[in-house]
Amino acid sequence: MRPEPRWDAVLVHPGDDVATALRVIPAGTTARVQVGSGTRQCRVSDEIPFGHKFAVRELAAGQPVRKYGEVIGGATARVPAGALVHVHNLASRRARARPGENPGAAGASR
Amino acid sequence: MADDAATFLGYERPDGSYGVRNHVLVLSILGLTSASARRIARLVRGTRCVTTPYGRGLIGADADLHRRTLTGLGRHPNVAAVLVVGADRKAVDRVAGEIAASGKPVEALALDDVHEDALALTDRGVRACVPLARDASRLRRVPAPLAALFCGLECGHSDTTSGLVANPLAGLVVDRLVEAGGRAVFGETVEWLGAEHLLAGRAATPEVGQAIRAAVARREALAVAAGLDLTGNNPGAENIAGGLSTIEEKSLGGISKGGRAPIRGLLGFAEPPREPGLYVMDGPAFSPESMTGMVSAGAQLMLFTTGPGNSVVSGLAPTIKISANPQASHRLAEQIDFDASAAFLGQEGLPAAAGQLFRLVLEVASGGLTLGEILDEGEEVVTRLQPSL
Repeated sequence: MRPEPRWDAVLVHPGDDVATALRVIPAGTTARVQVGSGTRQCRVSDEIPFGHKFAVRELAAGQPVRKYGEVIGGATARVPAGALVHVHNLASRRARARPGENPGAAGASR
Repeated sequence: MADDAATFLGYERPDGSYGVRNHVLVLSILGLTSASARRIARLVRGTRCVTTPYGRGLIGADADLHRRTLTGLGRHPNVAAVLVVGADRKAVDRVAGEIAASGKPVEALALDDVHEDALALTDRGVRACVPLARDASRLRRVPAPLAALFCGLECGHSDTTSGLVANPLAGLVVDRLVEAGGRAVFGETVEWLGAEHLLAGRAATPEVGQAIRAAVARREALAVAAGLDLTGNNPGAENIAGGLSTIEEKSLGGISKGGRAPIRGLLGFAEPPREPGLYVMDGPAFSPESMTGMVSAGAQLMLFTTGPGNSVVSGLAPTIKISANPQASHRLAEQIDFDASAAFLGQEGLPAAAGQLFRLVLEVASGGLTLGEILDEGEEVVTRLQPSL
């Protein structure tokens, strides 16, 4: 038997938009989320697989999404609080050719 | 502090470096002699073999890269002596000469010498290796300062546990090593995308910061020019299954394996650091290639973080596998050298886990075998970039 984690999820940085699940969190339950030395509660609407993320607040489509206190991509749709955040509603903002731009120049122009 | 007095037991080399292993290296410098090199290494105890499918026809940067990588592997502190094999006398002499500058015994054999007879080359190679292996076996470990240790850092098959625990843990060990005057390096440039501002902010000089940003921009332009959507490629399928969604998320978790020390320089692939401290290497993200770049640069030991597991290790540098994923650490008892899941589960603080990992590093540096070594995994992958002539 493996011991259980002390929290259901962790918010790496207090300003983050997403928390990471430390265990499978069933849909419709209230997760105990570690934030620094404290804990906060968050209602989860989807089942969150081990190691996956959920929104701790509502995210608008196109909004930058933060983890580690840094931007990890943009929301591709509106994400309600408590919903799973993964490749279906979060996209990288890097290494993407922009319409009308010479593909080879996108990175070099930064 | 106890760390200042920390030592490991290593093999002192003529150039002043210390090996944590004592291999005789059979080094085939081109594809024509790979089979002979493998036969020689199979027949002589204490040898490791490095081969490359390429050799002639390499041009420009590739020719330099090829030679720098092979020379670096030959000069490596974990190598006591080298047998260089190749096709023509001139080429083997050139590589052997560059390796011999480090002061270690080097022999060189060419297919030219044996009228293109690969079996005759094997026979001569075995006979040349016998005294090298006998002499190497008579070397003894001596106490070496922690400052003599150069550690490479690698991620392979990351999941979110890597960024939360395994990488920060490796970072704490790196901080102690660098503080004691040692060296450390991490690479995989594409996995700095989205975190390059943090790396550049830690650069020891503005020039180093600019070099880091430029390296990332080059790698990003490569991905764009290749028409890649990085999601699905990097993070790859196994990363996505493990909860990583974007390259930015992977990068931000990945760079924590480099700890908090200032970044002293951006190294080219297989380029050795000249001074102590923490470095980044501009190189590919494919683990075997990435590790070979760091090993060629002289890293004697690798810290390899993984989420669900990854069995690849270096052939020359003992590779300590670290996972904080409770399922993987439990399931892969013969692969994961350091189970960091207690820290992931919140039952142990990261500093306590880092103390244990640091002791394991000293133990392995002093001769304790990693699981990859016990199972005889591992090889070096000499990378290349361009078409041949």
